[in-house]
Amino acid sequence: MARFFNSMRDGIGFDLILVGAAMVFLLALAGLPLVYNILMSFQQVDMFTLGDLFRPLAGLTNYVAVVNAPEFWLVTKNTLIFVFTSMAGQFVLGFSLALFFAQNFPGAATIRGLFLVSWVMPGLVVGAIWSWILAGDFGVLNTILKAMGIIEAPIFWKSDPNFSIWAVVIANIWLGLAFNMLLLSVGLAAIPRDLYEAAELDGANAFQRFWTITLPMMRSTIGAVLSLGLIGTLQQFDLFPALTEGGPANTSNVAGYWAWQMSFKLYDFAKGATISVMMFVLVLIASVVYVRSTRHEVRG
Amino acid sequence: MSAQIELSNIDKHYGAFHALKDVSLSIEKGSFVALVGPSGCGKSTLLRSIAGLETITSGTLKIAGQTMNGVPPRKRDVAMVFQSYALYPHMTVEENLTYSLRLHGVGKAEAKVKAAEVAATTGLSALLKRYPRELSGGQRQRVAMGRAIIRNPKAFLFDEPLSNLDAALRVHMRKEIRALHDRLGATSVYVTHDQIEAMTMADHVVVMRDGVIEQQGSPLELYDRPVSKFVAGFIGSPAMNFVPGTIGPDGMTVALEIAQSLSLPLARHQEPGRKVLVGLRPEHLVIGEPEQATLRLPVAVVESTGSMTFVTTSTEPEMTVVETRRTTVRPGDTIGVSIAPNQVHLFDPATEKAI
Repeated sequence: MARFFNSMRDGIGFDLILVGAAMVFLLALAGLPLVYNILMSFQQVDMFTLGDLFRPLAGLTNYVAVVNAPEFWLVTKNTLIFVFTSMAGQFVLGFSLALFFAQNFPGAATIRGLFLVSWVMPGLVVGAIWSWILAGDFGVLNTILKAMGIIEAPIFWKSDPNFSIWAVVIANIWLGLAFNMLLLSVGLAAIPRDLYEAAELDGANAFQRFWTITLPMMRSTIGAVLSLGLIGTLQQFDLFPALTEGGPANTSNVAGYWAWQMSFKLYDFAKGATISVMMFVLVLIASVVYVRSTRHEVRG
Repeated sequence: MSAQIELSNIDKHYGAFHALKDVSLSIEKGSFVALVGPSGCGKSTLLRSIAGLETITSGTLKIAGQTMNGVPPRKRDVAMVFQSYALYPHMTVEENLTYSLRLHGVGKAEAKVKAAEVAATTGLSALLKRYPRELSGGQRQRVAMGRAIIRNPKAFLFDEPLSNLDAALRVHMRKEIRALHDRLGATSVYVTHDQIEAMTMADHVVVMRDGVIEQQGSPLELYDRPVSKFVAGFIGSPAMNFVPGTIGPDGMTVALEIAQSLSLPLARHQEPGRKVLVGLRPEHLVIGEPEQATLRLPVAVVESTGSMTFVTTSTEPEMTVVETRRTTVRPGDTIGVSIAPNQVHLFDPATEKAI
């Protein structure tokens, strides 16, 4: 008995308690809802069976129904546009800013810190602000574009079916920019200065140094940023209710918002769960890429 | 012999800090020059200025006759071995070696042949496919050297390349670097804070202090004729003893404050009665019978390494005597010490310049 308590204080027992606490937390708050969601996607759910765990099985009918829904392909296309253009915009602009601030001019660190403001703000607030900026008849963006002679008639960003998805993309790029810049800045700062000096003496110009030193040394950081970017973009929700509510006519609707609409607007919980499971598979793939990219870190 | 690297009146300011003050230095083609001095003396700044990693504030820098002020490092055709080695962690040894060749458009096959040649001279042949993280400190050092050699540059610049190695390996690499220099007939500039490295490796030693060249010359010149107390104390190990003294009335002897009754004979006539600082190298002091010696000193500590015995006296300031013969001296004894007149160094107490 004494031995048992001893191992609890200092030994394998203590290790198990620590791991166990984390596992219980993870299972209760992430594992169970996940399993319940997957289960629900294979069941018939209506308002009267909401409280049950075991409901009539539906097989794959929920999946078939979701894929056959008239808006499915439009939402899929929008999701792809939203995810990839957001990620590309966040990454390219974030990397450019990170490189810019890595030049260590006076005040660089302070100004870089100020960029975090966009990341600190709740998505709903960001959405509300961009809703004003993008407004058709009095928005700042239209005023600027008109003043510069780029457009003649105002663009109704939020209500024009050709632009509605881009309204959310623009806001989302702004929202995620700081996070990308921050992670990439950390990656850049971790590259030893003397590698660049050695490369410079070896005859590499600025572009060659970027291509042969910076990019390969940033491999794991870039992998992490892109995977987190994918997850974050698929999760993005707040901007949609604040800007377009997925409209007009689903032209700016994406999978995440659609799942919410199914479950909590139409109370079709089975289809909502089905859409989430489909997204979950995508996020899982991204997570595997993320974990692998951080495992293969190059260390000097 | 022509000057491969020519520095004229180089100044370097970092804001208000004056890092290099009017430095002029001529480095002969094929010579091995060591820049030595305590940390913060400007030796690394000078080396990095030659490489082009630091811009000089004023003065002229010429490499192989061409003015290099404002020329970017990649166009200077000099190679540098960094203290940290600065190997590219994401490249194999072979890729590290051939990086500069690939940048200069050398074909893959030719680069491979050259890498194999360099690997053979630096003992890396078996390691070409390894990554830097899989190498020991000494092997990394060799890769850094190989990366410099493969380019056949106008000059090799070494920035304290041995300071991350353990003592035994350091002694070994010292010889290897010097042998490599002789074989390639290269021009090398070597920065170190270790005067032994400078003395053993270089043809020409430049002692720096506070951004100024204090003295330069061959290693033995610096050892035999230091121009200042600083150089005298920096070169030689264990360090030179400095004791205050006064020149005798005849001008041919000096009386030490620690042993008023006896005085040391001098090789040259000095101004009688002048206060001086007397420099005596521990290895020049010879222990003899107290009665016949010129100095009598009480012993505080005796340390033996087997081949040598270091005797520290209980005088103020204390003095160190190195004895290479076996000795029975013990703490508390009084030893008699003598020294040849031409081995007594005199310095002005105020300016610390040699007299």
